[in-house]
Amino acid sequence: MTTPLLDVRDLTVTINRDAGVVTALDKVSFFVNPGEVLGIVGESGAGKSITGAAIIDLLVAPLKRTGGTITLAGERLDTLSPKAMRAVRGGRIGFIFQDPMTSLNPVITIGRQLCDTIEAHLKTGGDKAKKMALEWIERVGLPNPDVQFKRYPHQLSGGMRQRIVIALALCANPALVIADEPTTALDVSVQAHILQLMRDLHRESKTSMMLITHDLGVIAKMADRVAVLYAGRVAEISPVGELFNAPRHPYTRGLIRATPMPFANGEVRLDQIPGAMPGLGKTPPGCAFNPRCFKVEGDCRAAVPPLTSRESSAFSCFHPLEKEIA
Amino acid sequence: MSAGDFLTLDHVSKVYRRNQGFLERLKKTDAGGTRAVSDVSLTVRHGETVGLVGESGCGKSTLARLVSGLMAPTSGEISFRKDAAGKAPRLQMIFQDPYSSLNGRWTIEDIIAEPIKVHRLRQGKAAIRARVDELLVQVGLSPADAEKYPQEFSGGQRQRICIARALAGEPEFLILDEPTSALDVSVQAQILNLLRDLQKNLHLTSLFITHNLSVVRIMADRIGVMYLGELVEEAPSEELFRRPRHPYTRLLIDAAPDMDTSDRSLHPIAGELPNPAFPPSGCRFHTRCPFAKDICRNTVPPQKTTEADGLYRCHFDLDLSNASIVPPSANVKTA
Repeated sequence: MTTPLLDVRDLTVTINRDAGVVTALDKVSFFVNPGEVLGIVGESGAGKSITGAAIIDLLVAPLKRTGGTITLAGERLDTLSPKAMRAVRGGRIGFIFQDPMTSLNPVITIGRQLCDTIEAHLKTGGDKAKKMALEWIERVGLPNPDVQFKRYPHQLSGGMRQRIVIALALCANPALVIADEPTTALDVSVQAHILQLMRDLHRESKTSMMLITHDLGVIAKMADRVAVLYAGRVAEISPVGELFNAPRHPYTRGLIRATPMPFANGEVRLDQIPGAMPGLGKTPPGCAFNPRCFKVEGDCRAAVPPLTSRESSAFSCFHPLEKEIA
Repeated sequence: MSAGDFLTLDHVSKVYRRNQGFLERLKKTDAGGTRAVSDVSLTVRHGETVGLVGESGCGKSTLARLVSGLMAPTSGEISFRKDAAGKAPRLQMIFQDPYSSLNGRWTIEDIIAEPIKVHRLRQGKAAIRARVDELLVQVGLSPADAEKYPQEFSGGQRQRICIARALAGEPEFLILDEPTSALDVSVQAQILNLLRDLQKNLHLTSLFITHNLSVVRIMADRIGVMYLGELVEEAPSEELFRRPRHPYTRLLIDAAPDMDTSDRSLHPIAGELPNPAFPPSGCRFHTRCPFAKDICRNTVPPQKTTEADGLYRCHFDLDLSNASIVPPSANVKTA
């Protein structure tokens, strides 16, 4: 049994509203092993991005972390001072956001931005930092690093910008990278390039990664294990092959079957899940998925199913799907 | 235009002109501009759904606007079949964002009743209200929803309202521009199924625009693939996926990651999308095409037709039915 690099237990995030306190993340627990890619998948409002932001303490009011522990390589992150946390962000934890235009500073050259990160976290400066920055520009696949070094973000295409964001996330040799929808803003042909780059760099550096996305295709190609979030709770955590071939939670199966795929032979009608995910503060009593679930029974409405481990999977469901069904 | 044709586009182009400076205007020089849609010819037959796919900047939304009459083409002709009285068919559009395409100060009844009133399809308050109720039920909402406002609904429900509003005009032709791109997967499936049922029951002819090949495969009878303003291939849906003729189609199909976890290879298309304002010479895809030869750089490929009722623009007659045929190009690292 390996010790997880990142261990998140009972992470709870609430939103203070005039009308009262609403729970956005409800006791979310998962871990990321060293060198592993953990996919976090869910629909909008499931709490994927809040999970990522809560780990690096980037929640903006009215969002507030109100419970749970976050441990990175044996050290508690949730009790760190804001100053100590600043050193973790961009240092031991790198992050990649969805929109490469807003995550780069438009008035600073990309070379300077890389150097800033390297200088702040690796305690080097001057020519050495510049040399490392140039190496990173090359490693992420941009031609003529010397020219790119002096360019501003607006002079690059969306795909190139996202490459720079990846370089920024990795240049301080982080132990963990949190990538929040890294390819959602990109076209398919560019998306495949960025995924390939992330995979190559991940293999070289053995950095652990949390890959947050709504795209099951991206998950299938990139993740080792997958956590499925629904209405601020973990529905299921499974190894990627099992998740797609033998999902245990009815929501996981519903999500997979609702996704159109190019080679779904002759199968024209998509399976649909009735209804929609409950909005914030409108979570029904019991299992959050119960109003949409085809396996719902009385106990699902009475209590929240706990996250139970069985074999290699963990799921929050009183009536999980049998392995052979899917 | 033959008997079954509903809509034909004949060498349609649209150029977005760049703003000219004062001197340029005085000298009356040609400022050039972006050819957003370039020489597209397309036929939509009665009762058929034609899908258009492509990446950003390929001109698919511009084409939708041209067909809907919101913009006039720079050159070429768009013609609809006229009925016995010489009237063009009624058309309606469904847009991507169900949040910005509904007026938040109007009730659902006001929104859905508007096309009925404009086109005078029902007379009298009671008859209009009855029709609104009927439409709400048809799209899976309830008549009680008529009193509510758009903000009381989720994204998927709003898109249902948009569909009801489009149907209220009793269109013969429907233009759908990325109707499910703003929706989550589980809701997208509901809307796609609803649209399919409506197409079948109401015998609608439609143009379905999306960037998602998997979605268009479910929805369309025929699919057109666009790249930098050009229609590079057009074929019946099954044929397009079974045997694509244009390298771009093949690469686009492979580039989208599927849910197969046993084969985790990725298939990027070499290079990046060129700026549509300065498309490459010759075949516009040659900068990224693994099969490109000298002729592709210099000569615009002719439009060829296939025996399976498709057309494509490529100098070569490639068999691309198998994904493994595509050679790994020099600057694409394989997994």
